[in-house]
Amino acid sequence: MQRFITSSAAETEQLASRLAQTLQAGDIIAFVGGMGMGKTCFTHGLAAGLGIDPGEVSSPTFALVNEYRGGRLPLFHFDMYRVESFDGLYSTGFFDYLDMGGVVAVEWSENIHGALPQEVIRVTFERLGDTQRRIAIEGRVLP
Amino acid sequence: MKLLILDSSSKAASAAVCEDGHLLGESYTNAGKTHSATLLPMAEALLHNCSVPLGELDALAVTVGPGSFTGLRIGMAAIKGMALARDLPCIPLSTLEGLACNLLGFDGLICPVLDARVSQVYTALFRCQNGTLTRLAEDCAISIQELKQLLDTYPDERKILVGDGANLCYNSFNSRPENLSVAPEHLLYQHAGAMASLAWQKARAGENVSADEIVPAYLRLPQAERELKLKMQKGE
Repeated sequence: MQRFITSSAAETEQLASRLAQTLQAGDIIAFVGGMGMGKTCFTHGLAAGLGIDPGEVSSPTFALVNEYRGGRLPLFHFDMYRVESFDGLYSTGFFDYLDMGGVVAVEWSENIHGALPQEVIRVTFERLGDTQRRIAIEGRVLP
Repeated sequence: MKLLILDSSSKAASAAVCEDGHLLGESYTNAGKTHSATLLPMAEALLHNCSVPLGELDALAVTVGPGSFTGLRIGMAAIKGMALARDLPCIPLSTLEGLACNLLGFDGLICPVLDARVSQVYTALFRCQNGTLTRLAEDCAISIQELKQLLDTYPDERKILVGDGANLCYNSFNSRPENLSVAPEHLLYQHAGAMASLAWQKARAGENVSADEIVPAYLRLPQAERELKLKMQKGE
């Protein structure tokens, strides 16, 4: 596991862009950490790092999943906040997206913990101050 | 009687046209393409190549499940659109029974199995004798280990796994059931062409419904042995 401390949203995005350089089709990124921790901000950085317009990125809370294309790989951005069961997860199309040749980023991954494959990239956010975050990345080593 | 059969229930997609159980043509792709973009052009090209205009079709068949959530909805939408426009009857096919039809001619037990993820499979069991299928187990969603127990109750018969979960199961069984094999690659996935006689039989038996009535047959996943949620409350 690698731990990073970021002091601003911009630094969080830069960290995510570094992770994006390592991503391949089929990778799954599972975010762990509550509201206002910087998950959507991190996803902006992932998109930018993949060559997708980060302006495309928005919270998928209501849509369940947003698709961002136009970059090196498509990015599928899920929010599992309201997922309560395996059936509920199935009907988000999550399992279909795993085979679609892109990167899947999952907010509230705690809610689908039992359905995540072992080789997931886990990104855990911890609040240190108003803008400071400790971000732990497991499952992928940043160069 | 001319039928169009569509399948987009998993990663592969296929279309077939048949006349009275005789297969006129089929088209199959397993290239990881988006079914919503490929299924209808595939069906259109196939009908054109078979010189069967849409107006000559008497019924439309589609695999209604189990399978991929998105895939089933694509197949369903395609069939409903055509059936509504042409006022055609629809024939719902079980994906698993359709898959078993790949191996008509094999004498023994045919076990279609689709990967439902999280160590679960969609499966059923058929005995095939002289080209006729007899169903031994209903379509169900069970764990890979439960499937092994089911297969172990038929130790003496030849058994063959078919479907996108076949190799997963074959390699996951800790002690392999006796007399078990896996279908070869070209017969491993759903093929609409293999379902021609099944669709024709159902059409003759009047097992059709209207465009309004045909719905996906999602199988409820059992609560998997593992918990879905991490034991930690939201927002903490």
